[in-house]
Amino acid sequence: MTLSTHVRVALALGSIALSVAARADGIPGPAAGNALNPAPVNPSSAGRWMDVEGIGTRIPAARTPSGIPYNIPHDPGGEAEEKAEGWLTSGFVELGALGVWGDEKRQGWLNYKDLRDGAYLNGFAFTAEKPREARFAEAVGGGVGREDQFYRAQFGRYNDWKVTAWFDSVPSVSTTTYRSLWNGLGTDRLTLNTLQPGGTTNAATTQANIQQAVAATPESELAMIRKTAGARAEMKFGDSWTLFAGLSDETRKGSRPFGAVFGGGGGGGNMEIPESIDYDTVNVSAGAQYSDPVNTFNIRASASFFRNKVDTLTFENPIFITLNGSNGLNPSTFTQGRFALAPDNQHYNVRAEYARALPEFFRGNLAATVSLGSMRQDENLLPPTTFALTGGSVAAGGVSLANAWNTPNALSRQSADLKADTAMADLTLSARPASGLDVRGKLRYQEARYSGQYDSCNPLTGQWGRILNDGSGLSIVTANTTAGTNPAGTSANAYNAAACNLDAATALGLVPATGSAPVRTAPNDYRQVIGTLTADYRLGRTSSLNAALERENMRREWRERDDTHEDRLKLTFVERGAIDGMIRASYEYARRGGGEYDVTAYDPLLSAAIGPTPTQGAVAVPSWIHTIGQFRSFDLADRTQNTFNGRIDYSLHPGVESAVTLQMKDASFPAEYGRTGHQKADSLTLDLGYQAGSSLVVYGNYAYQRGVTEQKGVHPNSCTLGQTYYFYSDGRVLNANTGAAAPSTPTGTTLVGSQAVSGGNWRQACGSASAFSPLFPESRAWEVEARDRSDVLGLGIKYDFGRVKLDMSFTRILGRTRIAYEYNAAALGLSATQVALAGDGLSDLTFAQNVLDASAWMPITNRIVMRLVVRHESARVSDWHYDGVAANPMPANNGVYLDAGPQGYRTTAVGLFFHVRI
Amino acid sequence: MKAITQAFLLATGLLALGGAFAIPPEATYVGEKTCIKCHDVEAKHFSHTVHAKAFRLNPRNPHEARGCEACHGPGSLHAQRGSEKVREYLRGFTREWGTPVEEQNEACMACHKGGQRVHWMGSIHDNNKVACSDCHNAMGRFSAQGLLRTASVNETCEACHGKQRAEFRRRSHMPVPEGKMSCIDCHSPHGSPTRPLLRADSVNETCYPCHAEKRGPLLWEHAPVRENCMNCHQAHGSNHDKLLVAARPYLCQQCHTSPSLHAGQSFRGDQTAGAALSGGSQSPRMIGRSCQNCHSQVHGSNHPSGARFQR
Repeated sequence: MTLSTHVRVALALGSIALSVAARADGIPGPAAGNALNPAPVNPSSAGRWMDVEGIGTRIPAARTPSGIPYNIPHDPGGEAEEKAEGWLTSGFVELGALGVWGDEKRQGWLNYKDLRDGAYLNGFAFTAEKPREARFAEAVGGGVGREDQFYRAQFGRYNDWKVTAWFDSVPSVSTTTYRSLWNGLGTDRLTLNTLQPGGTTNAATTQANIQQAVAATPESELAMIRKTAGARAEMKFGDSWTLFAGLSDETRKGSRPFGAVFGGGGGGGNMEIPESIDYDTVNVSAGAQYSDPVNTFNIRASASFFRNKVDTLTFENPIFITLNGSNGLNPSTFTQGRFALAPDNQHYNVRAEYARALPEFFRGNLAATVSLGSMRQDENLLPPTTFALTGGSVAAGGVSLANAWNTPNALSRQSADLKADTAMADLTLSARPASGLDVRGKLRYQEARYSGQYDSCNPLTGQWGRILNDGSGLSIVTANTTAGTNPAGTSANAYNAAACNLDAATALGLVPATGSAPVRTAPNDYRQVIGTLTADYRLGRTSSLNAALERENMRREWRERDDTHEDRLKLTFVERGAIDGMIRASYEYARRGGGEYDVTAYDPLLSAAIGPTPTQGAVAVPSWIHTIGQFRSFDLADRTQNTFNGRIDYSLHPGVESAVTLQMKDASFPAEYGRTGHQKADSLTLDLGYQAGSSLVVYGNYAYQRGVTEQKGVHPNSCTLGQTYYFYSDGRVLNANTGAAAPSTPTGTTLVGSQAVSGGNWRQACGSASAFSPLFPESRAWEVEARDRSDVLGLGIKYDFGRVKLDMSFTRILGRTRIAYEYNAAALGLSATQVALAGDGLSDLTFAQNVLDASAWMPITNRIVMRLVVRHESARVSDWHYDGVAANPMPANNGVYLDAGPQGYRTTAVGLFFHVRI
Repeated sequence: MKAITQAFLLATGLLALGGAFAIPPEATYVGEKTCIKCHDVEAKHFSHTVHAKAFRLNPRNPHEARGCEACHGPGSLHAQRGSEKVREYLRGFTREWGTPVEEQNEACMACHKGGQRVHWMGSIHDNNKVACSDCHNAMGRFSAQGLLRTASVNETCEACHGKQRAEFRRRSHMPVPEGKMSCIDCHSPHGSPTRPLLRADSVNETCYPCHAEKRGPLLWEHAPVRENCMNCHQAHGSNHDKLLVAARPYLCQQCHTSPSLHAGQSFRGDQTAGAALSGGSQSPRMIGRSCQNCHSQVHGSNHPSGARFQR
């Protein structure tokens, strides 16, 4: 169904709904700003300074109930006219020129903004008002003609109806150090500039050619630009009703770094290609709101249509790849690869909310929300390859690959035909059973149900599994032909005769060659129920204590753990009177647990489902084990978490305000492998501000944040039936046929243990980490600790020199991630060179940035103000992922890395503008 | 009362600091002109606000037509000479005036009940006794839209949420400091059925409007991705690439240990492209995009061969 048809259907159903891209009621569309206008353009205050009269006749300055000082308003230039008969107009234009010096082509400078040399229309606003009829119109914008331009227009009648339209553009620059080997960026076909597709006749020559080509290729930018346009209308009917409707269209075009690989089983050739982006998302929505003193009702229907104009990306391959799993194919055959990029999809949602005051029931209130949604996708599926694979055959069993996988008939169905239906229901009842005591009960249910499970089986051949990476690798399920595993004479192709009938294939009772080949997709259904009881007690006129008890149950269909539950207790204390400010503090204890963790949970979706597990023969069994028995995925793992939050706002002196916030979070993961130990995240912020009136405002803030994460794994060894494994004092593990002589003891070590693996004990012997586990020996365990630290300092000043007014801010950010690790070099068989290079950790990931923004205003006439703008940024970035990439983009003959990563920069933009009031 | 006891009671707010707020019933409405005689500065700023436009140019009911007193209550007693500083004679919205937050919020809700506010009661902002006037200042047009107390949503939120203010300045972040996004693109500060005050029913449904290409559903799903984007991403900012919560490959290894292939292996500094120049052994899992050098379709794949997210 085409996009236009979908839109017509949606509108025909009357489902004009609140635009999904719109924001809070009354503030539709994107934020309407850019880097030089971070706050949306305000026609009442743009180009003006703070009012010397302050905020009020009697109170020049005031604070919010929490103690935060109100800003001094800008002088609006007098009271608004309300008696005029005709239209009153006003506005401004701020234009001039921008000059940029330094590293203006670096990603850090270019990302999310467009500050380049040249004429620059920084901002404008036009307002028109007809007070007698309460009509108005307003248009604002900035960055005109630049990639970060923005516009918003509104017109309507105050307190009656309003139409808003907007357009916003934002550049997203991924990298400026990408050396592209391809033409056709942004299109559905990437062709090599100079290199031969498929490589030459050998890897070494191909590598040399590629290295030459990369060295001759200049750095370039991979970027995408997001443009959003939309409109929204809302109208009041009487005192109680508001209707609204909206539409938005967002496009994204460009390229971003992407990875492509050939072969299989660990990779036979990888390269960084530029993914083409050409997205279009249309959102339509409409709804109604009703409110009277007792009842509140909202209903909203929305639809979102995503279209990808490059949903299939073909790219030419420059690498002489390594094949995997096949015979008779030439690596240079694989001249190209093809991706199925994000498919077109649709989302529909209807949401209704109702709340009713229940004054007779302990001054209670009832609120209910129901939301039903559906995400759908029915893209035509791509054949697994474009190649005929003539002459090729599956290494195990010899079934020909020729013309068996380059047709849609190779698929178990021709289109995705996928649907995910969601539902959410939330019910809250609150009451005030006693003076100063509010109690609340809340029950929330949420579910997602997927349909469209897909079988990975080729109807043409009866083969379960799939070809990998356009046929350069194979993951086809064959019967195990290792002697003794299956009855003598069992063909590797025995499953094929079942013609994709999984039950029939299983009924053969034959052990497959591997237990981990995916054969079916997983519908990730889940159900979540959250129940919360809350009590809020007013301790006095200015303080309160809140206690909340919550239980969350989550049931998942296809994860290692069917059920998890989490209990939370949260206490919150608020005090507004003890100090000249505010104290807020909360503590939350959360404990997560759940059902049994089943490491074989995915077996019904894998080749392990096609036949029994091996019990005989010299079969390597790791593919049936999947993971370390003690390993826990962090999102399912047991966890105990303590979180403390505190905030104090305090007035040090009239006009001098301070605030400090502290958050300390400690999550304990008791699992032995996976995330382990205590994951900590702490944050401390300090704020200080001084408002001396319209002539001087000074403020500063500092944030210190740190975090620690620990994890542990085991570098797998092996586990083969009929082998005995020998464990040595330095951590090494060797093996020999069971019954045969043990390997010679390595020099300087002693034998500390052994473990024989057989058909009857392999899961117990190899399934978990232990001192004498053949597959997960503790000597091969590794641990990683990541420590994050971030310091952010912000300073600002607004000062009135008299004729010249200065507004300046400075931000400094220091971020660092330090990764340390532990491992047993001898157990892993590392050389002295490797150990010296590895050390005990990686070089720090660091990011240091300074940003200075300054504006100086000087009136020229009573309508023209000259504005000098300076924006200076400098940054240093260090990321070990990119160590050596620029100098060594092809460190192996089957891997090429073209993005040298983020770079430091130092750039200054100076703008001279004239703000002209019209 | 002993000083210690007094201090304790003061600290816990148990001291009687006054009864419940209520403007005396004998107060009457005096009209805006009376207010403006003394409050001309306020009137100057207020006249540019949407409230002033609505109340003065197109009031829909007598309550709105009252202007200043629609929010502040009947002002006759406050307007009498000598009693202008008596707090109970008027509803104020500043800390200095001292009207209880509950009373202030009720005044706003008299007109602004409904819409997003249907979930205000019991929300985390309500539980923390945040007043409408902590974020909004209806007395002047400080912001282009929304009658905020600062020039923008972000500046308003960051005054209390300094942690998030700092996180948005990190190496990878969404374009909030650049003025292209605001807190309310994802959050609903007036209330929501979700704990983090999300605009949508879940984290993922909050992300999909801008990242619709991830919405799918896809043939081969990546389960923790489908469940919660924040399993891997830190929405406010990260020192890592792509707003990730940890560095690859270690992030991926917090779920993946495949013993038959490479997911569970030890990855170290001798495996970078730079180390390879000095005799190290390079690994695509330690260079550039790390695991995504091969598993580039990490959010899920719609390719029939995409079970391992490589196509």
